[in-house]
Amino acid sequence: MATEHESWRAQGEIYALGALDGQELKDFETHLASGCQICEAYLRETREALMLLHRAMPQLEPSPAVKAKIFDRIERENVVPLPVKPRSTGRRWQMLTGTIAAGVIGAVIAGVFYSKRYEPRHTVYTAVVNLLRDPATRDYPLYGTGPTPTARGRFLWNESGEGHIFVSNLPRAPEGKMYAVWTIAQAAAPLYVGTIATDAAGQGGLHINSTRSEKPMETFAVTLEPVGTTAAPTGPMVLVSKGPAA
Amino acid sequence: MVALRKTPVSTGSAGASHLIEKVARQDREAFSQLYDRCSPLVFTLAMRMLRERSDAEDLLQEVFVQVWRQAANYNEERGSPEAWIINIARSRAIDKLRSTRRRDQSFVLTDDPSGAESSENVESSVADSEAKMTMNSALANLPETQRRVLELAYFDDLTQTEIAERLSEPLGTVKTRMRAGIQRLRDMLTSQAV
Repeated sequence: MATEHESWRAQGEIYALGALDGQELKDFETHLASGCQICEAYLRETREALMLLHRAMPQLEPSPAVKAKIFDRIERENVVPLPVKPRSTGRRWQMLTGTIAAGVIGAVIAGVFYSKRYEPRHTVYTAVVNLLRDPATRDYPLYGTGPTPTARGRFLWNESGEGHIFVSNLPRAPEGKMYAVWTIAQAAAPLYVGTIATDAAGQGGLHINSTRSEKPMETFAVTLEPVGTTAAPTGPMVLVSKGPAA
Repeated sequence: MVALRKTPVSTGSAGASHLIEKVARQDREAFSQLYDRCSPLVFTLAMRMLRERSDAEDLLQEVFVQVWRQAANYNEERGSPEAWIINIARSRAIDKLRSTRRRDQSFVLTDDPSGAESSENVESSVADSEAKMTMNSALANLPETQRRVLELAYFDDLTQTEIAERLSEPLGTVKTRMRAGIQRLRDMLTSQAV
């Protein structure tokens, strides 16, 4: 096993440094996405070693004002219970609500279970139920692509800008990577709306509170990105929508 | 003027893990302690990569706001809290570097050694400010050829191919130097742990 992994380890060292590129990068990320524990562990150790590059430098102290600004920001972004927003009405709301609810009720239960690690359970549950009740909510199936062809998901999306994503069969993101969720409006750049984490069973959920766009959303996608990437997608797409469910 | 302080090499990750757990539960006091503990490390990296104090402090803010929001996503099995935070910082710094490079039409990577030197001189003149730092002991223990490729990759966000072009060296040589340098760092880490 160790011999089999010599070439992966060689690539893993350069990957940890951030210098792997081209086909080697694609191959290694595909290998990582397969869930190789040996390479995950080796990457973890290598990243700890690379921290020596700046850990032993004379450490610089930032201005005290920076800490004050950070605390000011987190105070202003304090989590508040999701408001129950007034919903639009329509002629077909009963049929749509029934269809969507029947199709996703199992995913709701699973999604709420997994989401409770990150958000208060009752808040997420209430928010998802409200989404399902709203006739303006659409259900977008997500299909696995790139390194994770067997992954699946659903994206509940409301024109108010609120949504909820469930994923399944999506392996945990490799060390140093995250699954970034994007919404894409007509002729607009992808908009980062959050990060979704999956458990050992490959399941996860994320609630999106408010992502407004003047243009209607057309596509929803999940990409595998280096941790912290929010400006624009750079990594492989792992899940993508192909339009709302019929 | 940038204040300097010496920090212990020991990671003390157990304490940091405990703090992260509390931060995930929105404990502001724990967040304050985590910031005090890790901010010099993040700021030092940010200064080394971005070279401007204002940019480095902006990055520091972004990183710790993200830590506050995503502390629940931290998984102890996948590395120390410091490594997780540094990974966030480095990813964000790389985003900024790439964004700056896209905007700055004058920034051109070249395979002409004289051109490369010229480019480095421009960077050096910027780095002559307070961001210019003393070579750290870990890097000082590496052969110059290994140190150079690690710095170009880790701090300047160049890929192996770009480094080979910059240094006019075969790609295989660059890979070998990178791996040898990393192996030395791994050995140093191991010897510290013993």
